[in-house]
Amino acid sequence: MPREPELSLNERSFVLQALQENIRIDGRSFDAFRGLELNFGDEYGVADVKLGKTRVIARISAEVTRPFPDRLFDGIFTITTELSPIASPAFEVGRQTDQEVILSRILEKAIRRSSALDTESLCIIAGQKCWNIRADVHLLDYDGGLTDASCIAVIAALQHFRRPDVSVEGENVTIHAMEERVPVPLSLLHHPICVTFSFFLGGGIVLVDATLQEEMLRNGELTIALNRHGEICQIAKLGGVAVEALTFLNCTNIALVKAQEISRFISKKLEEDLKEKNPSRLLVELSAENER
Amino acid sequence: MTLPDASLSHIHRADGSATYLQNGYSIIGGVNGPIEVGRRDELPEEATIDVIVRPAVGVGGTRERHLESIIHSTLQHVILIQNHPRTLIQVTLQVIRMPDSDTFNSKKRQFSSPLRILPSLLQTALLALLSASIPLSTTFTASLITVARGSNTVINPSPEDLQNARSTHVLAFSAEGDLLVAESQGEFEIGDWERVFEMGLHAARSGSENRKGADSDVVMLDDDQGGALRGLVQQKIEKDQKWKENIK
Repeated sequence: MPREPELSLNERSFVLQALQENIRIDGRSFDAFRGLELNFGDEYGVADVKLGKTRVIARISAEVTRPFPDRLFDGIFTITTELSPIASPAFEVGRQTDQEVILSRILEKAIRRSSALDTESLCIIAGQKCWNIRADVHLLDYDGGLTDASCIAVIAALQHFRRPDVSVEGENVTIHAMEERVPVPLSLLHHPICVTFSFFLGGGIVLVDATLQEEMLRNGELTIALNRHGEICQIAKLGGVAVEALTFLNCTNIALVKAQEISRFISKKLEEDLKEKNPSRLLVELSAENER
Repeated sequence: MTLPDASLSHIHRADGSATYLQNGYSIIGGVNGPIEVGRRDELPEEATIDVIVRPAVGVGGTRERHLESIIHSTLQHVILIQNHPRTLIQVTLQVIRMPDSDTFNSKKRQFSSPLRILPSLLQTALLALLSASIPLSTTFTASLITVARGSNTVINPSPEDLQNARSTHVLAFSAEGDLLVAESQGEFEIGDWERVFEMGLHAARSGSENRKGADSDVVMLDDDQGGALRGLVQQKIEKDQKWKENIK
């Protein structure tokens, strides 16, 4: 299997020298994201995110299963990330690369372990039946910023998803078809967003949302997951470079601004989508769900 | 019957890519090749073809492996593998959407016939290969045909037709009208199969005859599925060759 082609010496020194002169190769400022696009599919729970040339599709699905014996009152939520060779020939099928492991660990920490999704609300009958929500992340095009794009896709898809309504009578569970009863949105407690910083030249230069070219040159990276209220869910600092505490604090401040911007963007897109699919707001009025 | 829709070469990293939409299926295909092959899979006189089918939900299982093996043996006869010895041509097909993907009932999905998605997968693979400019010996048209209880055959059936179907057949014909794929599932008699064969052949043929008639015309309004796709491929090639016109 081919490896990701390495940058030539000329390209390396060109990019790094440009950075020293405060210029990024694509002309962005150091703390700017690439253009973000978000589209929802016809079905519930499919989000197609384009961050520059990186493209990720997240898909949420739900199924009724038996809860884990040690967590009788909780539903199950899993995130699956598999990098396919569509995105880059360097991704091999059936073998997990370090990158894939790191991606799934960070998403796990940012979304699942920060309890963005209230798993208790997924319980139908304690110890017997619960919802198994699964998020499949499909990477289609890879140009850096994988963690950020995947996180945005999963969070947007979770907000867009509707599960079928359920009614319980004693031991009997009825799952109502989507046509029969208005489907129910998932209960999300908060919406964490990942923002990745890349450090160059011994930590002196900090970039937001690096492209693949920049990612190959960086000395270290820092992924901060936080929600729009500024509550930090996780910080992952990878790579050997030492970073000063002040820079760290600075990064969290930038991350907060970015997370707020992205959260607003997602909610705007969700509203537009709702208006488009449901112009008379009929579904909202028919809904039997209680506001949290 | 719905006409397929497709877009070509819209993914940046893969050498060739295509999105194909038909009957509620949406599939993204990517082709990388010819690239370096692992020593274990290397063939001294021809290219190795690697087909990967990824389901929309979950990880691939036996169903996907079965589809992969059918597509693999088909492509082996379509791609000019002798042209690229000791290389790898990797075809990845990612299912994005299925018409009957009741998102909360994956059990039902598992029981539905794996053949239903096969024509769309084959067609996506072909478009992606064309987009990657991999030399092919021929192109093909794949179609799904069902035989209902009253022995009436339907080509490119709707979900209702599929529910009433007694047997499902997938046929693919090369541009010359040779049979490339014949996969069947369910109960049927030899008479049924012969009618299915005629129907598939007719659909594939009508496509190639229309092509002869409208050689220079990009606008194809014919009702066969090949016509719409041919127009798209033609547009893509015209776009790719534009630099040549300017040189003249």
